[in-house]
Amino acid sequence: MLQLDLKSRKSIYEQVMDQLKEQIMTGQMATGEKLPSVRELSKSITVNPNTVQKAYRELERQGYVYTTSGVGTFVADRSEIHADLPALQKAQENLDDAFRQLLFLGIGYEKAKNLTMQIIERRRPDHDKN
Amino acid sequence: MIKIEHVTKYFEDYPVLNDLSLTVPKGSIYGLMGLNGAGKTTLLRHLSGFLRQNSGSISIDGQDITDNEALKRQVLFIPDELFFFRGYSMTEMSRYYRKLYPRWNEARFEEMTRDFGLDPKANIGKFSKGMKKQAAFCLAMAAMPDYLLLDEPVDGLDPIVRHKLRRYLMDDVADREMTVLVSSHNAKEMEDICNYIGILAKGKMVFEGDLLELLPTSLEELFIEKLGGEPREQ
Repeated sequence: MLQLDLKSRKSIYEQVMDQLKEQIMTGQMATGEKLPSVRELSKSITVNPNTVQKAYRELERQGYVYTTSGVGTFVADRSEIHADLPALQKAQENLDDAFRQLLFLGIGYEKAKNLTMQIIERRRPDHDKN
Repeated sequence: MIKIEHVTKYFEDYPVLNDLSLTVPKGSIYGLMGLNGAGKTTLLRHLSGFLRQNSGSISIDGQDITDNEALKRQVLFIPDELFFFRGYSMTEMSRYYRKLYPRWNEARFEEMTRDFGLDPKANIGKFSKGMKKQAAFCLAMAAMPDYLLLDEPVDGLDPIVRHKLRRYLMDDVADREMTVLVSSHNAKEMEDICNYIGILAKGKMVFEGDLLELLPTSLEELFIEKLGGEPREQ
């Protein structure tokens, strides 16, 4: 179940995209699992169905899901997802800026690094553990 | 689909709508934005058949709304200044609506009235401003319109009521492709519910487009860019 934050700076569309990607990438939704229909998801999270439709189309374009016409939308094989370069670059810049902000707080490089490593470890997907 | 093409409307010598065009695709939620006096309410009044343009064409599902009683019954307008018959209760208003709107849904009317905690037997004239608005929503949504026109719908409503209304709207858009045209000043609220956006200034459309294609620009940024910048040449 997705949780939207109406106070977030992120748009509803970005939040829907992020949360579906998270469920797919962490394995909370398994490969081949059926996503709720646009209508169902729209009603359950009170989001414009056109926005949900757009999110599904974009997830399909990026390779996270596939649609079988008349049947539904399904989680694609994660190994098929290839990061597109601008998105990868953007994510790296965000990471760089976040680490820079951490250093600005004056906690020292080692502590900043440890904090970051803890976060990184917390984000390790279940299927990558052991 | 609502299609407005090159519509001009004069109030005396002043063009309140000036060669205005706009398209609202079926099943979408279209947000109409603009400063006070931009022509938003005038536009909605044309669509509901209260006003007739001087030139240009307005069609809903390919038909002209003027003098088209069958089409008018598929289009519900909740104006900013509400109208109820003097002394009527919601139940009494609902009898009038039931005769007028062939798809009247009594169960929906009762559910919404209960959900908003309104007394259906009480004189609407004694309701607060916000309660009157809620009463108007109960009546409009129970008429099951194909097109819902809303003028500043959330003015004077508390956050709980706004959330409930949003749910009723989204249900009808998702379940039966109801089309919504809504005017508001509130960029954040519009950004959360709309997928199309039109920005009006001095009776002209200065921007129209798919909201999701603007990302990552926020609607507020766009609104200021279109309306708050250098004064435009007339």
